[in-house]
Amino acid sequence: MTMADQQLSRRRFLQASGAVGATLGLGGVTAACSVVGTQGGTFNWMTWGDHWIQEQLDAIEASDSITTNISELAGNAEGFAKLKEVKGQLDKMSGDALWVPDAYNKEGLIEAFDINELEVASQLFPFARQFPIWTTPEGYLGYPFGWSPISIYYDPANVTGDPDSWEVLLDPKYKGKVVVENQPEEIVAYMARAAGFDQPYDLTDDQLATVKGLLEQLKPNVLRLAQQATDSVNAMISGEAWLITGNIGNEDRVKDGGGPEIKGFIPKEGTVAWQDAEMIVKEGENKALILPFLEKSQQAENIAQNFLVHGRPLFNEKAYQLLVDQGEKDRADRYHYNEAEDILGVSVLKGPGTSTEKSIQLFNEIFG
Amino acid sequence: MSTEIAGGTALVPPAALDTEGGGRRLRRFAPFLPAAFILIGLFFVPLAIMFVFSLWDTNENLDVVPRWSLDNYINFFSNTTYVRSLGKTMIMGAAVTVACLVTAFAVAYFLARYVSRRWARLALLFIIVPFWTSYLLRVYSWQAILGEKGALNQLLMGLGLISEPSRLFVYNDMGTFIVLVYVYVPFAALVLYASLERFDFTQLTAAQDLGASPARAFRHVLLPQIRPGLITACIFVFIPILGEFLTPSMVGGASGLLIANLVANFFKNALIPEGAAVGFLIAAFVLVLLIIFRKYLRVEDVYTRG
Repeated sequence: MTMADQQLSRRRFLQASGAVGATLGLGGVTAACSVVGTQGGTFNWMTWGDHWIQEQLDAIEASDSITTNISELAGNAEGFAKLKEVKGQLDKMSGDALWVPDAYNKEGLIEAFDINELEVASQLFPFARQFPIWTTPEGYLGYPFGWSPISIYYDPANVTGDPDSWEVLLDPKYKGKVVVENQPEEIVAYMARAAGFDQPYDLTDDQLATVKGLLEQLKPNVLRLAQQATDSVNAMISGEAWLITGNIGNEDRVKDGGGPEIKGFIPKEGTVAWQDAEMIVKEGENKALILPFLEKSQQAENIAQNFLVHGRPLFNEKAYQLLVDQGEKDRADRYHYNEAEDILGVSVLKGPGTSTEKSIQLFNEIFG
Repeated sequence: MSTEIAGGTALVPPAALDTEGGGRRLRRFAPFLPAAFILIGLFFVPLAIMFVFSLWDTNENLDVVPRWSLDNYINFFSNTTYVRSLGKTMIMGAAVTVACLVTAFAVAYFLARYVSRRWARLALLFIIVPFWTSYLLRVYSWQAILGEKGALNQLLMGLGLISEPSRLFVYNDMGTFIVLVYVYVPFAALVLYASLERFDFTQLTAAQDLGASPARAFRHVLLPQIRPGLITACIFVFIPILGEFLTPSMVGGASGLLIANLVANFFKNALIPEGAAVGFLIAAFVLVLLIIFRKYLRVEDVYTRG
């Protein structure tokens, strides 16, 4: 090959590279333009997997041309940190209980709205439109969605004595038979409840030392840390786990999956609970789409379907009536669907606390 | 200015090269720009950012605040669990690497020496077939195979070797080890095969004709010649294991977690500087490791000798 050939081939190579680059660039710009140009519009939503059902999103897209770009939310702390970074790149955010006022609102990330302006809000239990933690002079901070206390579930064929306390998780008899979700802050929080502490997200150093002792007892019993709720349920179905922690409704999930008849209870020491909301991101570029979307997505028919698919109570009262009409009263009542006010009233709600960092460090120290 | 000589070759004076060659040299390096961009923009710059973050702190509001200190590193090294996790990850990485090399060497040696090239390539294709499915699915499958009601336990119980399901192979370090070996053996096999394929096996016979025992011939004739392949295989297996998160979390149980799981926990809970410090420590260790490997490996070896 002569020098001239080499130069020619190099030039050709560079030209070809340039052409490929230009094609890719143009393709990207075209794709971006098509998204921007969509009628109705697309908004960006960071949420948990149980907040939406594809079939419902498709229906809203067909009727209102509103499409969603969903990114998975693993936890409140992660979501909060993410929104602080990306701000206007997200339009709608899901968050839990005290995270809404104490983190998102305090940081000025979300926009309050008049919940009563939404027709669909009249389908909510009245108390759900008046949670003091979400009420501000500017309006309501989030649209109430679902809730559940963290409960313990056990297989009565293997776990004897009708347990009613967190202590059952620490019993050496159940070594390697417990599966808990990998949520460090929550595990520390319910171990704090087990120790009798009323403020599990605001623990002092002495209290953290007590919790550390309980975590050390818990660790040998933990078979594995489930990455998501379905992992815990599957462990129960397969018989690998005799005890799991989780949301209301695991009895049916395990039974539906072909597992044993299991029982559940809220520990007598008290528990932690979540109640989540859909928030409007203040700087969201497509935030105008959120209220119209909520108006459609939160209709009782959708919420009833969500309940049947994901199996934990929600705040839509009309959906409860629909479930009763559909012959699902037994299931709804077993899931305490219409007892939110009572159960949440005696639970510690999830929220950011003063001991968040230390709690996570403590968890990592034991399970790391 | 140039001078024509016989044969048509042009001699260009060095001074002319200097003046004309600048632009040409620049053009010559143009093809390296994408790689340079990837290396600098997507590796060195993020690494530098990660290092800066590791020297900062998180406040109660989960904000990263630029309070410069070495606290994250001090906390790491003063916490025995963290140091133990790091040590355990190194040991796991070393054990898996050795197991992969032994397993892959046996396969690659057999294919290179006793199987025709055509059939060997087909066999190698089968070795990489698992890569056509997602990593997550493969690890889930292992969870099903090694679990209490899994295929392995059924087999062992069917053979009468155990009377009740065993948890020896899952939700512990053993589970992590088995699955990591499975995941990384193909990498090692491909590299070692490429190395052994170029080896002239008559040299082993010649060494034995000259009085060397098979073991001695293997050690003094074969191993030195496939050293670049062995080192490359070590790099391909050991280094990714330092960042393994999925396998330990799926089959490692509460006691089989590795250092990457710790990093993930920090990031998942918005403790970015703490996670960055551990991440940077792993990166620094990998860098040191590569420098050590570099001493024994010339880049051209990879191409000329596999």
